[in-house]
Amino acid sequence: MKRRGGDTSEVGREGLAHLDAVYNLARRWTGSDSEAENLVQETYARAFAAAPSFAPGTNLRARLFQILGNARKPGMVAKADADDGRGDAPAGEVWPRDDSDLRRLRGLAARDVEAALQSLSERHRMIVLLDVEGLAETEVAQILGIAAGTVKSRLACARAALRDKLKDYAK
Amino acid sequence: MDHDHATPETLLDLARDRLPPAEKAEVERHVAGCEDCRRAVEVERGLDGLLDTALPRRAAPPSLVRRIEARLERQPRRGLVVVAGVAAGVIAIAAFLLVWSIRRDTTHVLLRETVNDHLRVIHAARPVEIESNEMQQIKPWFTGRLDFAPGLAFQGDAEFTLRGAAVGWFVDRKCAVYVFARGPHAITLVVMPAADLDWPRRSRARERGFETLLWREGDLGYGLVSDADAADLGKLAERLTPR
Repeated sequence: MKRRGGDTSEVGREGLAHLDAVYNLARRWTGSDSEAENLVQETYARAFAAAPSFAPGTNLRARLFQILGNARKPGMVAKADADDGRGDAPAGEVWPRDDSDLRRLRGLAARDVEAALQSLSERHRMIVLLDVEGLAETEVAQILGIAAGTVKSRLACARAALRDKLKDYAK
Repeated sequence: MDHDHATPETLLDLARDRLPPAEKAEVERHVAGCEDCRRAVEVERGLDGLLDTALPRRAAPPSLVRRIEARLERQPRRGLVVVAGVAAGVIAIAAFLLVWSIRRDTTHVLLRETVNDHLRVIHAARPVEIESNEMQQIKPWFTGRLDFAPGLAFQGDAEFTLRGAAVGWFVDRKCAVYVFARGPHAITLVVMPAADLDWPRRSRARERGFETLLWREGDLGYGLVSDADAADLGKLAERLTPR
């Protein structure tokens, strides 16, 4: 993690400042406390090992998310297309049909939203969570190894799938 | 824009106010007259609000923070500070042990990642992205897919048959993945830029039941993994980068 003058610990400390965000993403991604902890430990071990490649100006948070994605499953980010998310495809009509459905969407509880997210395919859950973290499309594209245009369409598809899942909880 | 409806991507951009002004004006005109699109924009805003507010944010548990801080403390700079005040002989021994332990720790991370690439190869539905035993076909296939040239001196032979190649990920960078076969055994070779990694000059180890061999040639790092014999990996390494 060489940023200035080859000081490893400087970027190490900056990495620690992102620990909550990395853990939060891992927790939402895996849905499990223990799995998230193991994943975050592995992420930081890999980040420290790759330390010298962190050039000045590196978006460390995005880089940690990228390493997290690869640590989750070998080659997972690069091979995200293996899971095409077709299982998430909304089967029914477009939702909501009217404004009362929209009001129900706003009234959903946290546990319902979390459960709906967990029921998404890993590919769709990944892009929704990265989007929730506020990353730019170009950063998401870099993390997932896909084109920025693909991020747009995949995100729209993932959100449609999520809305469809939420429909079950809003009844 | 579609005659009937704007695309979901466009409506999401409108909901988040990130369309260029000219396009925004056009889409807003459409939405003003299209009930479905108006509601879709509201839904996108509602979903954003829901994800922002309803999803709990969890802080890292203190025990996890301590473990990662402890790992950071073991990075070189801290270790050298710790031993700085110790008598000369003790410094030499401590420094040696420190470097050895850090190097072993770092090498182990690299080793684990190399084995992960091998596991992906042997468990993937499509282990390689280009199936070929012709290096002349594989070499140009990498052009534009990698930002380095993973050229190999070895083309494959009767003993080590080239099966194909793929682009993989190694920690935070793309790597070239070649797959060879030695009888019934698959052998994965990863090649990546390693100038900025603590890649070993040469290291042979057994990791999670697999034989591994890592070595460095110039700025490139090479890693072989297989359930074949360690001697076979040594032979293949000699052919890949002859000295």
